[in-house]
Amino acid sequence: MVTPARRVASYFPLMSEAGRYEIRVKGHLDNRWAAWFEASTLTHERDGTTVIRGEADQAALHGLLTKMRDVGLALVRVDLHTADRGPDIDP
Amino acid sequence: MAGPLLESKLHIPRRRPGLVARPRLSERLSRGAGSAMTLVSAPAGFGKTTLLTDWLATAPAEGRSAAWLSLDRHDNDPASYWTYLVAALDNALPGIGGGALSLLESPQPPFEAAISALLNDLHAGSHHVVLVLDDYHVIEASDVQDAMAFLLAHLPPHVHVVISSRADPDLPLARLRARGELVEIRAADLRFSADEAAAYLNGVMGLALTAQDVAALEGRTEGWIAALQLAALSMQGRDDIADFIAGFAGDDRFIVDYLAEEVLDRQPSDVRDFLLQTSVLERLSGPVCDAVTGHGGGKAMLERLERANLFLVPLDDRRRWYRYHQLFADLLQAHLLDEHPTTCPLLHRRASEWYEGNGDPSEAIRHALAAGDPERAADLAELAAPALRKSRQEAVMRGWLDTVPESVLRARPVLSVGIAGALLASGELEGVEDRLRDAERWLDVAAEPRQPASRSAQMVVVDQAEFPRLPSWIAIFRAGQALTRGDTDATVTHASRARELVLADDDLGRGAAAGLLGLAFWASGDLEAGRRSYVECMTSLQRAGHIADVLGCAIAVADIRIAQGRLREAMITYEQALRLAGAQGRPVLRGTADMYVGMSELHRERDDLDAASRQLLTAQELGEHTGLPQCRYRWRVAMARIREAQGDPDAALDLLDEAEHRYAGDFFPNVRPIPAQRARVWVVQGRLAEAFGWARERGLRADDELAYLREFEHVTLARALLARYQAERAEPCLLEVSGLLERLLRAAEAGDRTGSVIEILALQALASRLRGDVAAALEPLARALNLAEPGGYVRLFVDEFPRMSSLLEAAAGRGIAARYVERLLTAGGRTQHRTPVRQTMVDPLSERELDVLRLLATDLGGPEIARELVVSLNTVRTHTKRIYAKLGVNSRRAAVRRAEELELLSRRRG
Repeated sequence: MVTPARRVASYFPLMSEAGRYEIRVKGHLDNRWAAWFEASTLTHERDGTTVIRGEADQAALHGLLTKMRDVGLALVRVDLHTADRGPDIDP
Repeated sequence: MAGPLLESKLHIPRRRPGLVARPRLSERLSRGAGSAMTLVSAPAGFGKTTLLTDWLATAPAEGRSAAWLSLDRHDNDPASYWTYLVAALDNALPGIGGGALSLLESPQPPFEAAISALLNDLHAGSHHVVLVLDDYHVIEASDVQDAMAFLLAHLPPHVHVVISSRADPDLPLARLRARGELVEIRAADLRFSADEAAAYLNGVMGLALTAQDVAALEGRTEGWIAALQLAALSMQGRDDIADFIAGFAGDDRFIVDYLAEEVLDRQPSDVRDFLLQTSVLERLSGPVCDAVTGHGGGKAMLERLERANLFLVPLDDRRRWYRYHQLFADLLQAHLLDEHPTTCPLLHRRASEWYEGNGDPSEAIRHALAAGDPERAADLAELAAPALRKSRQEAVMRGWLDTVPESVLRARPVLSVGIAGALLASGELEGVEDRLRDAERWLDVAAEPRQPASRSAQMVVVDQAEFPRLPSWIAIFRAGQALTRGDTDATVTHASRARELVLADDDLGRGAAAGLLGLAFWASGDLEAGRRSYVECMTSLQRAGHIADVLGCAIAVADIRIAQGRLREAMITYEQALRLAGAQGRPVLRGTADMYVGMSELHRERDDLDAASRQLLTAQELGEHTGLPQCRYRWRVAMARIREAQGDPDAALDLLDEAEHRYAGDFFPNVRPIPAQRARVWVVQGRLAEAFGWARERGLRADDELAYLREFEHVTLARALLARYQAERAEPCLLEVSGLLERLLRAAEAGDRTGSVIEILALQALASRLRGDVAAALEPLARALNLAEPGGYVRLFVDEFPRMSSLLEAAAGRGIAARYVERLLTAGGRTQHRTPVRQTMVDPLSERELDVLRLLATDLGGPEIARELVVSLNTVRTHTKRIYAKLGVNSRRAAVRRAEELELLSRRRG
């Protein structure tokens, strides 16, 4: 499905660049949330945080952050890697 | 906006019994009500709504009324947002915003005018009101947020706004903070303290926990109320509370997730299934739950959940509609998606079918898309389109374009054409042609029976009745597209084709085609063809029941009649339209005010200035919401010309400036541009440098090629040249203006524009008189008088007094149109007596300045004076400055004293 965000994004090459994101949130999040966030992996860290990884463009990333806000997740850190994809580990 | 108002959104949510009292926060909210805005900003589940309902229910009201609005994502549509916001205020202050509401009901609501009307109503009152906007974070539309910032900046001090949101809204918060006009309550304020947690767990929930247990829970949840609620629900009826607390305190899991699972696991399986399955619904009722779960008992189950405090929020008093607390609904959906990924589409599909059967196409479409069935969504959209077009809710249809995939849309000619029309209606040209071409491809296939059946088999048409109408509507939208681009010839071509193609039963189609043709003919200067098309358009639109559009056409027909010099017919057009509008009953139809404005202009030309002023006053009293988009500027132009006739050109210029600011062409050709009207006033004032500055800016020259759309400007240039000749007596200037007038006359005669012919002839007469050749002047004057008498023109001649009066006397001496000339001379005498007001001052005050001076002698403030005179505050300031200068004073009190000495205040206008 073509979302309006994607439609707009296609006019702005800079904004349309999809990239791999890493979002660190407080608390250990059950794996079932991967489907809700359309993420590829959830990793529990020793410090009690969870790192959520996946692929998204800017618009999708903002949508994802809104979803996290709506369930009351506390953000610790957000990273996005666009040009340099590096050695992909996840499928 | 789409659909009727959901009253539940305007109800202050019921206060739940047995809450934890929070006097500290209540006090802060009460204090905040003295500033411009209070912001309650915190994540989901921090008790924002509960705090506000509790505050409104318990804090001393102190003569304060409360207006409540629970926002949802549909309110990103500005029509919906503003309608609900005004309705909420109307609940608290009955009668407020009636004008704004009728403006918002119109097809393409003028939001700026509606918000101004609301602000005026609010400023007029003094009752203290608190407007709560709950869940503001759903608002993402920038036009809504911008307009909201405007509203906030202009609210009177007795109106206080409280916004609750999960994210800081995109409003000028920093500015409000800096001015001390913002009171904030944030997560750190909202979180339960240890005492509040104890009061809740042990008091409200009756759990009898030790202080240590409470501290552990409070620490682990960090005072997050939703988490404490879930914890309390998990602990109810448990024997091993200590173990539960120990287990959960030593766990790193995301807290509400952990707790929600505890709560869900403790539910009987029928309750658990029901919760998960119905979590796909935004609103829940017994019947829709039954449809989604596939078995009965939904209503009983909802009541059971409410009793068990399972995060169900009732939306009405009759226990018909509920919704889940949003955070809980998200938790449930995450579970559903994980446990039953394949069931999800099925549940959405069932919800979509239920909404389709219950007359809510928008929800049906949303669920169809969520079910991953865009074809179904497109079918539903196609069927809903005609009703949306009739009620002018094209914006809703426009929104579907973004949700239905291109490939699905392409196969549907009826939907494609509907969306093309919706795009045009919202002023977007991009994508229109693609949609029309897609549709046309299928029409070609359908018209060619030898085509292989497989190709036409791919076409999808759900609305069979609409399909045969497509050729005419495609042509109509092509004409609309051409008109928007300003291509008159193409507009005529497509609109003519549409008129040939339109089916017998399609009144709306016939009206639309004729209206577009009328506009195109008018813009190209073919007045009579334009008028005839418009009359045809009015008949069809009236039959289709689109009365406000009929009134819009009446303005065009009257404008054309005026250009044709048929003032009486123009008046009859307005009178008939007004009767038609009156026959529609209450509320007053949009377009009614425009009829009065039009009639005022005709009364002014007949020199009945009292009647002309009265008509404008009537239009004003009817309210802005009874005017079409053009009304705001036309009213000011009409008032400007009355002021000019009253001998107050400065006031006329002010009004023209305001008119220019509010100009809205609404596709009409701009046949009397406001800058040219301003230049005419300058010419009368002798400000020739400014007048020629305008002509240069517009690139106007006496030897230009002539065209109808520039006729008014060229006649204005001729007036300026005449004035220059009068001042400088330079022969080349006279030659220039004579040549221009001669060519203008021929063009106007060729186009049957008698109105223009009369004016040009009168100017020719003045030119000859300036040359000193009265005999030569009488020939064009006699022709002008003969043509003007049937229409009853007066101001056209009287505005040229005293230059014109000697010519008219000469004409009377020769027995030319004797009775008519007599009338003109009488009217002219009246006018000269009327102005200027005699004063013993070197530089006398203008009529308008006298108006301002009289109001300065009252105790009205600046803004009130501006309102009284229907001008901007700036205009009042300019007048005041000039008055001070002329009176040689520098304060309001001194100005009034000096005015009394000069007996300026007692003088009536003569």
